[in-house]
This record gives sequence, C-alpha cells and structure tokens, in this order.
Amino acid sequence: MVPLSVRRLAIVALLIAGVTLIVMAGTHNLRHRQAEMQKAQQSEVQLTPASSAATSGDPSEDPAAKTMKGKAAPSFTLVDLNGKKVSLADYKGRPVVLNFWATYCGPCKLEMPWFQDLQNKYKDKGLVVLGLDQDEGMAVNEVAAASKRVGVTYPILLPNDKVSKSYELGDYIPETFYVDKSGKIVDETIGAHSKDELEADIQKAIGSGGM
Amino acid sequence: MKAALIGLCVALTCAPSCARLVAQEIQLGPAAAPHKGHVELLSDAVEVKAGEPEVVELRFRVEDGFHINSHTPKDELLIATALQLSPARGMKVVDEQYPHGSTFRLPLDSGGTLDVYQGEFRVSVRLVAPKGSSTLTGLLKYQACDNAVCYPPKTLPVMVAVTGH
Repeated sequence: MVPLSVRRLAIVALLIAGVTLIVMAGTHNLRHRQAEMQKAQQSEVQLTPASSAATSGDPSEDPAAKTMKGKAAPSFTLVDLNGKKVSLADYKGRPVVLNFWATYCGPCKLEMPWFQDLQNKYKDKGLVVLGLDQDEGMAVNEVAAASKRVGVTYPILLPNDKVSKSYELGDYIPETFYVDKSGKIVDETIGAHSKDELEADIQKAIGSGGM
Repeated sequence: MKAALIGLCVALTCAPSCARLVAQEIQLGPAAAPHKGHVELLSDAVEVKAGEPEVVELRFRVEDGFHINSHTPKDELLIATALQLSPARGMKVVDEQYPHGSTFRLPLDSGGTLDVYQGEFRVSVRLVAPKGSSTLTGLLKYQACDNAVCYPPKTLPVMVAVTGH
C-alpha cells in the first residue's frame, strides 16, 4: 500500500508535467503561426509592389516609391543619343525631372509627351526633363527613333546599371524622380500618372529648394 | 482529484491534435504564389498519334491584373509574345498558331489601344512526334505590364512531355 503523501506527490508531479506540456505545445504553435504569418507577409510584399499600386489607382502609394524622397539625388554622368556626356551636376540650381522609361513600355510612352509639354510650359522656370532609357541591348538609333516617334525633344540618356542601382529602381518602369533646385528629391512616383499629377509634382520641384 | 486527472488526460490527448489543426489552417491560408514572371505554363503532357502531323495546344496563363502583348502587337516597338521551340530528336515542329489578342486600353490613355493576352491563352503547335515518350522544350518570350507599369522582357521555360501512340 502506497502512503497517501506519496500518492499526492505523484499526482502533483503529474499535474505539473501536464501543464508544462500544454504550455510547450502552445508556445510551439504560436511560434509556428508567427513564422507562417511572417512568411505570408513577406511574399505579399515581394509580389505586389506595382500591381497593388495599379489596383489602387495611385502607384505613388507604393511604399517603395518613397524610399528616395527627401534624399539628395545621386549624381551621375551618362551619354545622350548624340554621344554627349550629360551630368546631373550640369543642371545644378534648376528643378529636374528624371524619368526612367523604355521603348517597350506603353505607360511610359503615355507620359512622355506630357513631360515634353510641361517642360515647354515651365521653360522660364528653368525646368529640365531628362529621359533615362532602360532598354537592354537596344541600338542607339532605335532608341532615338522611338523617342522621336513619341514626340520628345528633351535629352534621352542611355542606360547604366550603376545609375539604376543608385536610384534604387524596382523591376518596373516608369519611375520618376522630381529634384528641386537644391538637388533634393522632393517626390518619387512609380507608374504612369495623369498629366495633372505630373504638373503638380513639377510645381513642387520648382517651388522647393529656393536658391 | 479523479476528475482533475481525467481532465488533464483529455487536455493532453487533445493538445497536439489541436495544434496540428491550427498549423494546417495557417499553411493553407496564404494564396498560391503567382508565377514571378506573371505568366505560367499550364500544359505538362500531351498525347498524339505517332508519325503524323498533330496539333497540340500549349496552355499558358497570365496572372490576373497583368497583360502581355499578343503575337501581333499594334506597335512595332512593343515586344511580341513568341515561342521558340526546340523539339527532341525524332520530333518535328511544323508550325505554330497564335491566338488573336484582345483589345486593351490603359486607364490613362484616351487614344490608342493595345492588342494583348490576358488570363489563359493557347498556342497551337503542329508537330510530328515519334512513338513513345519524348519532350517538347523551348522558351516563351513575352513582356508583361499592368495598368500602370511594365516589367522587363522575360522568357518562360517550356517543357511538355509528348507521348506518341
């Protein structure tokens, strides 16, 4: 016959062991859920940068679009369609629009004539528009023909991976940076925008960084 | 005390299965990841009559919310969707027939339209396959956009098992 105190002790030990097991199972389950949730959130972010923007109708709402805003525009020297070197520093003290585009991009070619119109409109404010081509392996004359067909006369600069990286471009175009007179990026947009929106961003660049 | 012990036993028995149930639900939760390039190949195997020209359909699907140019886009600057097939030895590809695209207008565009593939589309391939198992391989070249942005040109590997009877 087992003494009563020993039985009680055994029961208490069993209870403690049981509770410990339940807590461990709960903790394991919680960690697993958190890991799964984190994985799901990460895949959402990776998969929907531009599509979510397109769905919402305002690509500038994409968080990726805000990464460069407020920073100094990275300097660069690129070559234009005539082989002439063009540096961002050449336009120091002037508002500059940097529009990344490609010949295969329909939304880009929708915006480009509007940028041309707006450059003409704000010429007396010193506005400069630069088109940074992102085509890979395309002949210069083909890029020139394409920009002519689109109807732009502002400088078109040929691709350079270093510049794309310094501006932290995503895997999509168009992407546009509005740089004020002090060289600061006052806005950054992804995807095609209406002409009114482009003009509002241009006015922001013109009105900021007064010198 | 007896009741407490019975309760504990029940709890211990149920705990692991409950945890498993929750884990299963969570695993099922996230939607199937769309193809990174926004286009996927749906066909993986076809059966044909050996030694004779046969038409097989290769089924592709463009991710919802995206479009790719058709085989005959309206603008020569746009990149046409095209198959580059490399049939296995003993197999011969006679020709390919692409479907017509559908008319698509970018929301901001008040003028022009595009000729695109959206959702599922099928390319008909006429081929002569040998008896037995062989593989039709190749690449689908395309360039995808959504309503506001475009992605660089891409190639999707194509691999379809062909069984000739």
